Amino acid sequence: MSGFFPRRSTLLATAIVAAGLGAIGFASISLGAVIVGETRRIDLGQKAAPGMDAMKTQYKRPATIPFPKENPYTPEKAALGKQLYFDTRLSVSMAQSCASCHSPGFGWGDGLAVGVGHGMAKLGRHSPTIVNAAWGEIFMWDGRLATLEEQALGPIQAPGEMNMPLEQLMSRLTSIAEYKPLFAAAFPGEGMSAKTLAKAIATYERTVVSERAPFDAWIEGNEKAISEEAKRGFAVFNGKGLCSACHEGWNFTNDGFQDIGLPSKDIGRGEFVPGVIKMQHAFKTPGLREIERRSPYMHDGSLATLEAVVEHYDHGGVDRPSRSDLMKPLGLTAQEKSDLVTFMKTLTSNLSPTAVPVLPR
Amino acid sequence: MHKTILFALVILSGLSAGALAANQVIHQQGRVFSSESVTIKKGGALTFVNDDSIPHNVMSATKGSEFNLGSQAPGMSTDVTFKETGDVQVICAIHPRMKMMVKVTD
Ligand SMILES: [Cu+2]
Repeated sequence: MSGFFPRRSTLLATAIVAAGLGAIGFASISLGAVIVGETRRIDLGQKAAPGMDAMKTQYKRPATIPFPKENPYTPEKAALGKQLYFDTRLSVSMAQSCASCHSPGFGWGDGLAVGVGHGMAKLGRHSPTIVNAAWGEIFMWDGRLATLEEQALGPIQAPGEMNMPLEQLMSRLTSIAEYKPLFAAAFPGEGMSAKTLAKAIATYERTVVSERAPFDAWIEGNEKAISEEAKRGFAVFNGKGLCSACHEGWNFTNDGFQDIGLPSKDIGRGEFVPGVIKMQHAFKTPGLREIERRSPYMHDGSLATLEAVVEHYDHGGVDRPSRSDLMKPLGLTAQEKSDLVTFMKTLTSNLSPTAVPVLPR
Repeated sequence: MHKTILFALVILSGLSAGALAANQVIHQQGRVFSSESVTIKKGGALTFVNDDSIPHNVMSATKGSEFNLGSQAPGMSTDVTFKETGDVQVICAIHPRMKMMVKVTD
């Protein structure tokens, strides 16, 4: 009851502020259809930190790959998609394929700090892995593409990357006789188009899934599958290190955008959400599967080793308004840092080699 | 001047009504909005509670209904009043899986 009266006086203050703002520009500030009230603290009660077993339940591998109902899996589509993925003729120079930058040899990345595009020119950001893209919610470091189908066409057309206009691409592929029956089998009644090409590549990419790693065996109950150091590292990952606040679940990402305080000038997600402070310098949280094979690290490839990455997080990075509130000095001990790295290495699977397909002529 | 005062009173009464009525509460625990879609009356408010363990950034980019709560720390609660009818898509800027629709009716 008594709680109402202090509230009311702050509301009055809010109204006065609103009226005051009117003098300097109502149209943009107060005449909107939505009014944000003041923020207050509430009591959430004390939550006990979850134990090891509770943490482990969050990391079980899914049993099946999710395919969208607009583009369901068929073996014909995946096989065609694989050929297109490895076909250098998708670039205007006929020298680059999707696999040039997203290569199975480098954990489906390219092992470089930043990608290399058309004319061997360096790109602005590190080539992300395509491992477990089937579970992605949004694509590119800055989240500018909504589906893997759209993503597949992005680098093909980008002038700095494969530099290939779609019309020119389709006419080139049409002139390769063996592609026609493959498209016909994968897309009965639809045939060859940029749309079906994107669907085929996306379907193949969804089949690229990190295989079982020692970590998975441990999650499923084999206590000997990973070392005691790695288990301690897992506890730091979920606790003091705050890593799992973003790198969560079996693929170690919630696809969220965070400014982690790297000194790079690139504003990332901020380009698409200019009014939101926390999106400036924010990039999509990458998953951590096969992370040991994916160096160098971060959106700009600026950190060479997992040890350097852990040091960065322990330090907290550049303190600026956009920096995530989760980034702060952690005070990790040398043992905790080393345990974290040992843990991350248990996410490396025994990847079987990927056979390069014979391409249509 | 007279107009400004009148406007302030309108805002005041609108906010008071929103504050005194029991708002529908939208929780964010587990990086998910507790409702995918809610219907509220024009002039009504929703209370966005961050009962999760990490910060969220509730906002809308729906034309005419743009708002941005900024980084909302765990344990914080903010009321948002919707004054025009229509559908407002509410998202978390940080977590792309967090989406909900607010249907504002007469
Ligand atoms: Cu969120």
